[in-house]
Amino acid sequence: MSLEKAITVEINGVARELSAPANETLLDCLRRHGQFEVKSGCEKGDCGACAVQIDGEAVDSCLTLAWMVEGKKVTTLEGLNDADSPHPLIAAFLEHGAVQCGYCTPGIMIAAEAMLRDIPDPTDDDIALALSGNLCRCTGYTKIFTAIKQAAEVLRAGGGDD
Amino acid sequence: MTDQEIPYRQAEANVVLRQVGKPLERTDAEGKATGRTRYAGDYTMPGMLHAKVLRSDIASGRLKHLDASKARALPGVVCVLTAQDLPDRLAATDMPGQTGQKRASTDRQILVREIIRHHGEPLALIAAETPAIADKAYDLIEYEIEPMPGVYDTEAALDPGAPIVTEPDNIVGEHKIRKGDTEKGFAEADHIIENTFHTQFIEHAFLEPEVGLAWVDENGVVNIRMSTQVIEHFRFIADALGVPHNKVRILGAMVGGGFGGKEDITVELYLALLAQATRRPVRLAYTREDSFVGHGKRHPFSVSHKTGVTKDGKITALEVKISADSGAYVFLSPYVLLYCAVAAPGPYRIDNVKIDSAAIATNNMYTSAFRGFGAAQACVAYEAQMDEIAKTLGIDRFELRRRNFMRTGDKTATGQTVESAIWADECMTQALEALGEKTAASGPIKIGRGVATYQQSYGRITWFHDTSEAWVGIEVDGTVIVRSGVTDIGAGQASALGQIAAELLGVGLDDVVIYNSDSAVTPLAGTTTATRALYMTGRAVHTASSNLRERLVAFAAQELDARPDEVDLANGQAFVPDDPSKSMSLKDLAARGASEGLERSELAMFRAPFTDPIDQETGQGPVFPDFTYGCHAVEVAVDTETGEVTVLKSVGAHDIGQAINPQAVEGQIEGGALMGQGYALSEELIYQEGKLVSPSFSEYLIPTSMDMPEIKCIILESRSGLGPFGAKGIGEPSLTPVAPAIANAVADAIGTRVFDLPITPEKIVRALRE
Amino acid sequence: MLREFELDMPGNLQETLARLPGGTLLAGGTNLLVDLRARREDAERLIWLGNIDGFRDIKIEDGRVIIGGGTTIGDLLRNPAMAEAAPSLVAAARVFGGQMVRNQATVAGNVCSGSPAADTVPPLLSLDAEVHLTCSTGSRTVPLNDFYTGFKTNQRKHDELVTGLSWAAPGPHTANLFYKLARRKGDAITVVGVAVTVTRDGDRCTEARIALGAVGPTVFRAKDAEAMLTGEPLADDLIDSAARKAMEESSPIDDLRASADYRRHCIHVLTRRLLKQAWEDAA
Repeated sequence: MSLEKAITVEINGVARELSAPANETLLDCLRRHGQFEVKSGCEKGDCGACAVQIDGEAVDSCLTLAWMVEGKKVTTLEGLNDADSPHPLIAAFLEHGAVQCGYCTPGIMIAAEAMLRDIPDPTDDDIALALSGNLCRCTGYTKIFTAIKQAAEVLRAGGGDD
Repeated sequence: MTDQEIPYRQAEANVVLRQVGKPLERTDAEGKATGRTRYAGDYTMPGMLHAKVLRSDIASGRLKHLDASKARALPGVVCVLTAQDLPDRLAATDMPGQTGQKRASTDRQILVREIIRHHGEPLALIAAETPAIADKAYDLIEYEIEPMPGVYDTEAALDPGAPIVTEPDNIVGEHKIRKGDTEKGFAEADHIIENTFHTQFIEHAFLEPEVGLAWVDENGVVNIRMSTQVIEHFRFIADALGVPHNKVRILGAMVGGGFGGKEDITVELYLALLAQATRRPVRLAYTREDSFVGHGKRHPFSVSHKTGVTKDGKITALEVKISADSGAYVFLSPYVLLYCAVAAPGPYRIDNVKIDSAAIATNNMYTSAFRGFGAAQACVAYEAQMDEIAKTLGIDRFELRRRNFMRTGDKTATGQTVESAIWADECMTQALEALGEKTAASGPIKIGRGVATYQQSYGRITWFHDTSEAWVGIEVDGTVIVRSGVTDIGAGQASALGQIAAELLGVGLDDVVIYNSDSAVTPLAGTTTATRALYMTGRAVHTASSNLRERLVAFAAQELDARPDEVDLANGQAFVPDDPSKSMSLKDLAARGASEGLERSELAMFRAPFTDPIDQETGQGPVFPDFTYGCHAVEVAVDTETGEVTVLKSVGAHDIGQAINPQAVEGQIEGGALMGQGYALSEELIYQEGKLVSPSFSEYLIPTSMDMPEIKCIILESRSGLGPFGAKGIGEPSLTPVAPAIANAVADAIGTRVFDLPITPEKIVRALRE
Repeated sequence: MLREFELDMPGNLQETLARLPGGTLLAGGTNLLVDLRARREDAERLIWLGNIDGFRDIKIEDGRVIIGGGTTIGDLLRNPAMAEAAPSLVAAARVFGGQMVRNQATVAGNVCSGSPAADTVPPLLSLDAEVHLTCSTGSRTVPLNDFYTGFKTNQRKHDELVTGLSWAAPGPHTANLFYKLARRKGDAITVVGVAVTVTRDGDRCTEARIALGAVGPTVFRAKDAEAMLTGEPLADDLIDSAARKAMEESSPIDDLRASADYRRHCIHVLTRRLLKQAWEDAA
């Protein structure tokens, strides 16, 4: 067994200390520590189900080693669901029925949220580009695009803030 | 007679619906959108072991020896099971949940005892304290496989002297359909058009790989919580373990996609064996590669059509020859083949039909259920053939279809009278209209349009005598509970049941909680397959809710001093619409009822139509409860130099009888559009000597956000189906016409046809050169 | 599980350079971790490059673009100057993996992977980029054109780190284009990749570069085709002849994604189209 190391990381705003061996992916480590909203779909960066943000950038947690997030901020879907001000993406996905089996949803929200910070008024092409690493097999992406555009509108109007 | 003159049966016309038919937020949506929903892979238990399956990496061979002693000696390895450790029991591969029917003798070995018949066939099961130790044990199992000659295509499998994969002759299923007189029909034809169409192996590609957790409880019951479409495999698992049926319980969880790929037994058999052997909780999570090699695929089909038509486009005769690659084990191949044969004429009235079909064993991966279940492959052929006929005759493709569509009251090729609405024409008209103005071609970029219409069954084969149960109860505070074994594979199967109960009991969907997917504590509802969940279980919930409503209304009438026929239930109230003084809350009603000993729950069973099997020689007789009809239309751009295809517009129009939740219906149509687009253009499992050489999402290409156009959905409601409120089914029908519509659009764009899916850029370039 | 390995996480460039011998570089990890999981790679010690200060910086100095060894594909897309400073590279970045992989994969890692299907390489070759290598005793610069020595082999020595890549931003009257042909539009492995640069002076082409991906053991420049164009007005028939020449210079193979024959056909078509477009754009 590889040597375990304690890493200090902020997960969804909470300081945590996680113990992990060198060869553990961030995906496995987060799930082992109860972050089950991070999903495992392919473990090789093809599907995006495991997407999380590290310091605001969306990455595949299956292609990230746990040790790499030492001292960083990790955001999962749980982090977008702040009890006081849930992210407008969540309400928009619910309103437009953009969730079916739901397994790709956490990764898609993470990818979409990262895009919306870069591009507040995304075109369909912008959304397509931002989600091309998030496979969804249940929807045809149409409702997901609609929901993301609505969330963008809410955010531009200043919604979603405290 | 025209269709206007034939009254199809219609359910509850002109009823005002308060909950049903509304695009309500599904009961499962919030948990999923916030990440709080627990899927089967998110459950753990103290003391849990981690399992792994060792599989053959070649397709045909003899296991000379297998030695697990080094693996067993590794500290932390708790159990390694090989065929030698198992009694000589088999695992069922037949259709699950049939009632009163004899099971086909198609069972397979659980672990390889001697002969390996397909790539990925399991050799050993490992359970260890950690995943890392299980991985190490995997490497320590020593075995030797002697390769044997295999057979990898269906034609070769029928050659004299071909290796026999399934005794006695590699033919695992045959169906014949005979209607009218095809010789006479061809004699009446002005043209006879013959074409052969091929489809490929494809993968379900649900995002959640197979996963489960099993434990043996204090009563000696093997409990398995897992991702499955079919909790009623508990019986087959019990048979394989050699325990009574009531000693195995399967609990589901929200399923991360199924599409038929979680219809057969997957991890539950291995979990049960390991939990039984170790008496400890065991978790088994397939990797994506395990999933690619570990479950059955969609059958490749070869479908040949020979169609006789008059010069004005009336089809006079149809001969179809079908062969399907069933792979190394039978699984559901005979049924998939039957679906293809029955569907082969499409939604067209053809008086003279002759269909011969065979499913043939090879050493490829076994093939089984996949959304569309043979009927999808049939549609790829019959709708392409319609366009080819139109081209030969010089008749408009859509007009040709209109001249041949079945009407309500017509008989299918098997002689089954269709009693529901057949709105294929209306669906086609609306879908074409929704395509709008045609995009302009530019240089080498050609634009093409295509449609496909279809006839697709919903509900299982009627000689399975399918049933479904549900329980509906009202709590003393007026809230509602629905309990039913139905599995929810992402389409909102559970939520729809809540919407039906809410409608009939006069509450909001928020007031309903649904418990589902537990073979021990929820009434058995059958499988979530065959586009049957809403139809069957929806009817069971409808009956239970209606019976409960009747009792509540009668009691309310007493309380309100009114007649039962004056009382309505809505908005959480029991009331007399014409008399504002007579109303009480459901909460008070339920509490009063409870104190008076009123029964506040109902268990109901819904029975599909029961029939005897069709005649083996003629295929005559009813096969399915009913059919859905619709159309998908697309517009594509084809780069005639590189062969690249861009789908520009995609419209699904379907008569689904009655939408319970239109938003969920749109979800099915949009998802079908995606899956069908992948089927048409980019998805293909490549087997070389039976070995899957593309077991990942970087080689197996399902459409991404950059590949999909905006999908338009058109929902027509004839209220003529057998489901609740006249609903039909949409799960499979939404997929079926998409691939042929795209194939037809590509052919329209380039003026020639690619006859085998997927239509890759390279095939287009080749077709254009020829 | 990934196989076991040691994970070295040096905190700066000097430490990194000191530990290079015997280690395997872990940049974005989008290839290496996949290969480790698939057991195609058996590295015992990984050296993570994520703690080097300023390693992801993108600078434009005197018309020359310099990107750090840790610059990710996503960084290229987020930098507004890149659209003009490296049009073909931005086009490649847009069809490179998905958002998450783009945020992890580095340009240098993609270059060093040496895969003939590496999407950033045809654009970088078409921009005549240079590779900057550093070891604990010094630095050197190698033209990318000379960097590859064969299939997945290159000039980087085991104690060297690619600290950056640089190229001259295309000037006026220069067009720089890339097209990726794949079996799917989003996140797919390249079947054929073509990048071209055309510099135009009036009605003459003063310089042309054509780089081809996934049609040989390495990404390469079709120099014979380029030579046909230099100094000439790019009439349609000359463009077509050069595109044919580029096709002849390639040596594609049959694989799961496409046949060699189809790849050759597409090189001709795509090179012709891109040259024609570039010639018009450069006017």
